[in-house]
Amino acid sequence: MSIPLVPGLLRAHLSELAERDERVDGRGRLEGRPLEVEVNPIERAEGSARVRMGDTIVYAGVKFQIMTPYSDRPDQGGLMTSAEIRPIAGRNWEPGPPSEESIELGRVVDRGIRESGCIDVNKLCILPGEKAWQVIIDLHAISDDGNLFDAFALAAIVALRNATLPAERFDVGEDERLELSCTPIMCSYHKVGGRFVYDANGEEELGGDERIHITLGDDGHVHSLQKGLRGAFTSEEFNDIMGAARARREELMQLVESLEQD
Amino acid sequence: MGGYGDVQMLNEDGTRMDGRRPDELRKIEIEVGVVPVADGSARVKWGSNIAIAAVYGPMEAHPRKISRQDRCVLDVRYNMAPFSVTDRIRPGFNRRSREISKVTANALESVVQLELYPRSKIRVEIEIMCAEAGTRCVGLTAASVALADAGIPMTDMVVSVASGKVNGVVILDLNKEEDNYGDADLPMGILPNTGELVFLQMDGDLSPEDFQKAWDYNMGAASEIHEIMVAALAARYGGDD
Repeated sequence: MSIPLVPGLLRAHLSELAERDERVDGRGRLEGRPLEVEVNPIERAEGSARVRMGDTIVYAGVKFQIMTPYSDRPDQGGLMTSAEIRPIAGRNWEPGPPSEESIELGRVVDRGIRESGCIDVNKLCILPGEKAWQVIIDLHAISDDGNLFDAFALAAIVALRNATLPAERFDVGEDERLELSCTPIMCSYHKVGGRFVYDANGEEELGGDERIHITLGDDGHVHSLQKGLRGAFTSEEFNDIMGAARARREELMQLVESLEQD
Repeated sequence: MGGYGDVQMLNEDGTRMDGRRPDELRKIEIEVGVVPVADGSARVKWGSNIAIAAVYGPMEAHPRKISRQDRCVLDVRYNMAPFSVTDRIRPGFNRRSREISKVTANALESVVQLELYPRSKIRVEIEIMCAEAGTRCVGLTAASVALADAGIPMTDMVVSVASGKVNGVVILDLNKEEDNYGDADLPMGILPNTGELVFLQMDGDLSPEDFQKAWDYNMGAASEIHEIMVAALAARYGGDD
């Protein structure tokens, strides 16, 4: 990604708004943008989701492959998450090998899912030492107006919860739903105008400072954290957004559960 | 072409496995303005194909060496999402997507009034989100609508469609199975207002009579697809087509 110049005017404007506890698009500090989720829009994927948060639009697609288990874990399958921000997503995204930004995105989403243990890798084993399922989550951004992290993470978990193991196509039994034991959900906060806001849009990301990504599973368990970009924050600030994340996670969980397909 | 001519792809009554007549298109839906951060965009659903095209520009031509004194350059990328096909494809460019990007660019260069924007660049990004068969045609059609949505002056919109042959019968707009087991494929890029061609490929085996029939099917289908493209733009901008 080519880093655009940050206009001093934008930063000054965001600071002024923050003093009045306002945001560029009129939202409250912890308010998210309108959210739209479509389940399994991609016929070729074994599970997929399209997530729209304001003007940010992403897709996640789940594919399965048969892999040979690693020799030190002969009875386990694998999980891989890869994020690609193609130049379609915005004028600052450029073609070429994955940028640092997209690698960070893929890895942070991956950690939340992996560390939550929602996918039991032992259940992915088909024949110990010989055959196991590899779950591949591909994250694809179409329109970047900020907070790709939360959009990707939400698309990924919805795609996984609605994914089917294509056992018949690989001749290893009958098709079955992928089982998930919990639901990791990410909430991201950006420091804008000196205070943290939820679900920053493109303008707020551009004129903001550090960001914090929190992935929470069931029963309040924390599964991954990531602090990104330049900036320092206090324990009090962190406690504030952690509390906000716990509340938001429950709202998003209700949404995810309401989307379940048969 | 697979060329497995012995697989039965047509019903006894001459209809196809998906119920279409030989000269019938799959269902096509076009929506304009689907990438809010872009200057122009369109999503084309065509059978189970989904292509999203976005346009950025005109902007400064960068890197400098691609810049032309007398005209604008079109920077066109066709890409398939890793999950768009049955067996996942590794992300990134390959020889196939490079070639399709190039011929798509050459088609669009033939209609965009490049001389209006010297030393500039227009980026055209085509993402195939779900592939069935004929993705290059779907992508080129989507790119034309996206360019129109971006307000880029063009002499015409390119309509792209393919015909082919299965079990010895010429058919319009092959689906996945027909493409896998077919004997020939003839994709074309047609300018509906003049009947000119700006994109043409073919592979397989067609007799002179079959070739003419496939050609005529494509020409006939172009106006039908063009109506859907125009209606999609009218739906966004109002006006009666």
